[in-house]
Amino acid sequence: MSGLLDYVPGNTFLHRLHPLSKLIFSFGLCLACFLTQNHWLVLGVIVCSLLQAALAGMLKPALAVLRALSKLSLLLFLAQVFFVRQGQIVLSLPLDIYITDQGLSFSCLFVLRLIAVTLPLFIMLSITRMSDLTNALTRLGLPYKYAFALTTAMRFIPLFGKEMSEIMEAQTARGVEFDSKNFCKKLKLILPLCLPLLLSSVRRIENSAIAAELRGFNVRKKDSGYKRYVLGRGDAAVLGALVLILAAVGLEHFYG
Amino acid sequence: MLRLAEVSFGLEGERIISKISFTLGQGEFAALLGENGAGKSTLCRLSMGLLKPAAGRVLVCGQDTAAVKTSAIARQAGFLFQNPDRQICRPSVAGEIMLGLELTVPDPAERERRCRETLALFSLDPEAHPFNLSRGERQLLALASVLAPGPRLLILDEPTTGLDYRECMTVMEIIARRNREGATVLMVSHDMEVASDFARRVLVLNRGELAGDGPVREIMRDQALLQRASLLPPQIPALALSLGGQFAAAFTIEEMAALAANSRRGRL
Ligand SMILES: Nc1ncnc2c1ncn2[C@@H]1O[C@H](COP(=O)(O)OP(=O)(O)OP(=O)(O)O)[C@@H](O)[C@H]1O
Ligand SMILES: [Mg+2]
Repeated sequence: MSGLLDYVPGNTFLHRLHPLSKLIFSFGLCLACFLTQNHWLVLGVIVCSLLQAALAGMLKPALAVLRALSKLSLLLFLAQVFFVRQGQIVLSLPLDIYITDQGLSFSCLFVLRLIAVTLPLFIMLSITRMSDLTNALTRLGLPYKYAFALTTAMRFIPLFGKEMSEIMEAQTARGVEFDSKNFCKKLKLILPLCLPLLLSSVRRIENSAIAAELRGFNVRKKDSGYKRYVLGRGDAAVLGALVLILAAVGLEHFYG
Repeated sequence: MLRLAEVSFGLEGERIISKISFTLGQGEFAALLGENGAGKSTLCRLSMGLLKPAAGRVLVCGQDTAAVKTSAIARQAGFLFQNPDRQICRPSVAGEIMLGLELTVPDPAERERRCRETLALFSLDPEAHPFNLSRGERQLLALASVLAPGPRLLILDEPTTGLDYRECMTVMEIIARRNREGATVLMVSHDMEVASDFARRVLVLNRGELAGDGPVREIMRDQALLQRASLLPPQIPALALSLGGQFAAAFTIEEMAALAANSRRGRL
């Protein structure tokens, strides 16, 4: 079973890139989304991410993420669109509720950005081994301890989700009504469960820390990793593409 | 009590349980055996309604698990998880035992009484924090809190794994007493000795299929079946079968001792 943020093994052109280029490229795409006010550019970033996913041979999971995000986006869109009061009214409903063109545009941009930011990060995490990412971050000068903590934390997120669902299952078996459809009721039941989740996580993290300590975690230095990463032509291409995208965003910003 | 009819279940395209049918009557004590990954825990979760079958039906006390909520089934059946840390969620031992009682026993005084009774039965310290208990003690606590509301059907996923011999016997005696009082038990175990000592019926699971189902004495002597399911028969039946002849029928230590004494007397 592979979780959402797990590494998906592969040997495509994208997989073989330098981990730093992957990192820079995905964060660059996110940056581009926030710099621009143009819907089309953000949409372009989404298309670019999907293209990337196709190249990495993981279009299917990427589309699944996109589908899930779309549902969330629809909710967010609805929550936003009624609250912008400036601009021309395009749709007027009873009870002083109306939708303006600015509201529409703002909510669209918001939702598109959300999707455009999530996809590159998702793809980057799927095509990069955590250890490679950690090594890349240490090469950048980040102390190994922090890089390790960061990447480990990311790996723990899906584990938390799994653990939570198991704990909820256990409570259901005890007769707690987690299978209730009532959202508020469910929330009230979930809150006390944070304790066992926290306890088992603390225990697990403590164990991981001891295990890491025993294996010489503390004697590790900046160049302890045996793996050498070389910047190839692929990296140049990807980083070039990123420069082009950012340039387009910049041009649009000043002249658009 | 528990009835499975042609139950199949799969995850991510993989068949985990295929076409399993059996019925446990009131008061039965069945052991569910099989190698790691055979699908025992999955079968238990299906029986409790935590998982819904892809095909076939599961009936707990006459209720179809696909039709009623799991929390409703939990009023009839108790489920012990393989990992006790999953189910412990209150900051004190007494609180943990109370959780199950609060949902099933409306009268506070009765609740108190049952809680004290359970604490005494398992000799647990009510004020202790579950986090500070040893793995075996946490296992005991989990079992105690499952038993406290007095469920009519007990589904136990490896109740004795991780316990020392004395604790194991304490736990099994408590379960056996519940069974004598009328509760139906379905117990997963990797300990063939425990299974053969306490269960009266054995279900053998092999790669998601029910490879064997019968009285404990028959199954434990079916070497071909046990071998197919990668199980080792308990020591005394194994010894009995390898000795053969007049000893072949022995199942317990007492029986073997009696047969051995007989044969010695015969030779004298
Ligand atoms: N959530 C899941 N996702 C994917 N596969 C699963 C999942 N849960 C169980 N499986 C698979 O189902 C099979 C049966 O698992 P199960 O936990 O029922 O085995 P088990 O007989 O209880 O083993 P054990 O003796 O180790 O407890 C295993 O091969 C396991 O890989
Ligand atoms: Mg199991």
